[in-house]
Amino acid sequence: MVSPVSDAMIRLEAVTKQYPGTMTPAVDELSLEIPEGEIAVLVGPSGCGKTTTLKMINRLIEPTSGEIVVAGERVTEMDQSELRRGIGYVIQQIGLFPHRTIAENIATVPKLLGWDKARTNERIDELIDVVQLEPEMRDRYPAELSGGQRQRVGVARALAADPPVMLMDEPFGAVDPIVRSALQDQFLDLQHRLNKTIVLVTHDIDEAIKLGDRVAILNVGGILEQYAPPSDMLREPANAFVADFLGSDRGLKRLGLLPIRNANLEMGPVVAPTAHPQDAHRVMEQYGVDWFAVAEGKRLLGWAPGTALETAPDVRSIPLQPYRTRIDVGSTLKEALDAVVSSRAPMTAVFDGDDYLGMLSADRISREIVQ
Amino acid sequence: MTLVAEAFVDWGWIGDNLDEIWDKVAEHLVLTGIALGVGLAISLALAALALRFRRSYTPITWMTGTLYSIPSLALFAFLVPITGFTTLTAEIGLVSYTLLILIRNIVAGIDGVPPDIKEAAVGMGYGRLRLFFEIELPLALPVIVAGMRIAAVTTIGLVTVTALIGKGGLGFFILRGLQRFFSTVGSTEILIGTLLSVVLAVIVDVGLLLLERALTPWARRKVA
Ligand SMILES: Nc1ncnc2c1ncn2[C@@H]1O[C@H](COP(=O)(O)OP(=O)(O)OP(=O)(O)O)[C@@H](O)[C@H]1O
Ligand SMILES: [Mg+2]
Repeated sequence: MVSPVSDAMIRLEAVTKQYPGTMTPAVDELSLEIPEGEIAVLVGPSGCGKTTTLKMINRLIEPTSGEIVVAGERVTEMDQSELRRGIGYVIQQIGLFPHRTIAENIATVPKLLGWDKARTNERIDELIDVVQLEPEMRDRYPAELSGGQRQRVGVARALAADPPVMLMDEPFGAVDPIVRSALQDQFLDLQHRLNKTIVLVTHDIDEAIKLGDRVAILNVGGILEQYAPPSDMLREPANAFVADFLGSDRGLKRLGLLPIRNANLEMGPVVAPTAHPQDAHRVMEQYGVDWFAVAEGKRLLGWAPGTALETAPDVRSIPLQPYRTRIDVGSTLKEALDAVVSSRAPMTAVFDGDDYLGMLSADRISREIVQ
Repeated sequence: MTLVAEAFVDWGWIGDNLDEIWDKVAEHLVLTGIALGVGLAISLALAALALRFRRSYTPITWMTGTLYSIPSLALFAFLVPITGFTTLTAEIGLVSYTLLILIRNIVAGIDGVPPDIKEAAVGMGYGRLRLFFEIELPLALPVIVAGMRIAAVTTIGLVTVTALIGKGGLGFFILRGLQRFFSTVGSTEILIGTLLSVVLAVIVDVGLLLLERALTPWARRKVA
């Protein structure tokens, strides 16, 4: 049987779930499309139906009405166990099997699929490496790991049979903020290599913005308020609920998504060593500062106060101080802004490795937000 | 002290009857083993039923609870006209007394398996049977073995009562000792029967504990 499909890997069509004995639906007429290879993040206040939505995709919960299509097949027409073995699943409480070693936990789905020993073992070693666990943890039991390590095992277990689709319910929920941030970075790194189609649930809007190619904001009662890429959403929240949920520092959050690489850099009060003192005076006036920097081609030589020009015959002979406020072009505008406000310099120098590219001021950065 | 001991204990009798003592110990163990084995099998089946159909749990505990509350003497007296002075009679009684404890512990053990672990298993494609045998049962093992230990100790004590229907393991000595209570041989027999029965209970209890340790290495190795 052929279902009508778009090229979305996962498609929810007007999916509704009303639990027996409840007055209002937990999920209400939800429609979402998740393109192949993307991360969609479901976010919203507690009880808004995130977990319910996720579990309907692998049929741990059957929808009251509506249709869910995964890889072109209606899930209701697929064999339950087969469907689930083909979808990586990380549950909210990790749920490692305490009586099985880390290796055995990771081997769960390969074992269900009947892989032979050699292939399974190879895969275990590979995954232990991928999620950056120590090889000697292979034969430990879950109780002998830290929270962060357990969470990694949970992810490794879900990845074991290399499923194209992953469902992750607050996969980094149970660890402290520092470990969480490290796990998120690792996860993004991993996703760049693996290109899974992922539905991830969180109630942390910052995590949603950081991880999601698209973010779905749900409201209590399972109502979809907005579904959009995070930077679009931050620029143009659909309504007051979304704006409120994104928080008052929406602009800053958006800066966190904008790479310096795409920004228009400034010249800044910078002159060449061969420049005339007059040129230095001119750029200082132009930027309204009392200092100037000297650059030769792609090398930023340093800076000096304007007063240095009074005693020196030319720019080349002025002793320069190293320019310390610098940022790599691979960073975000938010990091650039941070570099500016946490130093005394009004501008940060932008580098690509050792190559000087230009300057960014707070003023320039704030103009980038609205573009 | 020595005087008292000499008045009650006939060391010579013990030396002369080592073979018979050994036979009765063996019989005691066999009666206990069968009772626990059959009891466990029936309990697993009934517990599985109770877990599958929750409503059956109350009648099941009610029935096994009633069995448990019947005085053992009365139960054997009731069974003899039907099944005679046989091992079967002894075992029907012994098995009956293990059911309540075992079923309760199996159900409690399996109910105690954290729901998130079950959800993870089902979410990765475990079927019902696999879930029961590979996840629920192993994780419930510590609670089930705890029930086995209580059932074992209870059964070892009860086996002595089956002496009344011609079985009884070490209970044989206790019964015969009572019949010639005022002789040193009689008190020696009572003492030997009782003492060895207690020793058996302790050994079996510790043995089951060690078995549990061996079967659940994951339960002990904890970080903090
Ligand atoms: N089995 C159930 N029976 C009845 N109501 C349920 C059931 N499971 C969930 N609900 C209700 O459905 C709503 C959505 O629950 P769900 O678990 O999907 O929320 P969630 O968004 O994942 O919340 P959280 O962030 O707290 O995990 C809640 O109001 C919850 O009480
Ligand atoms: Mg949830």
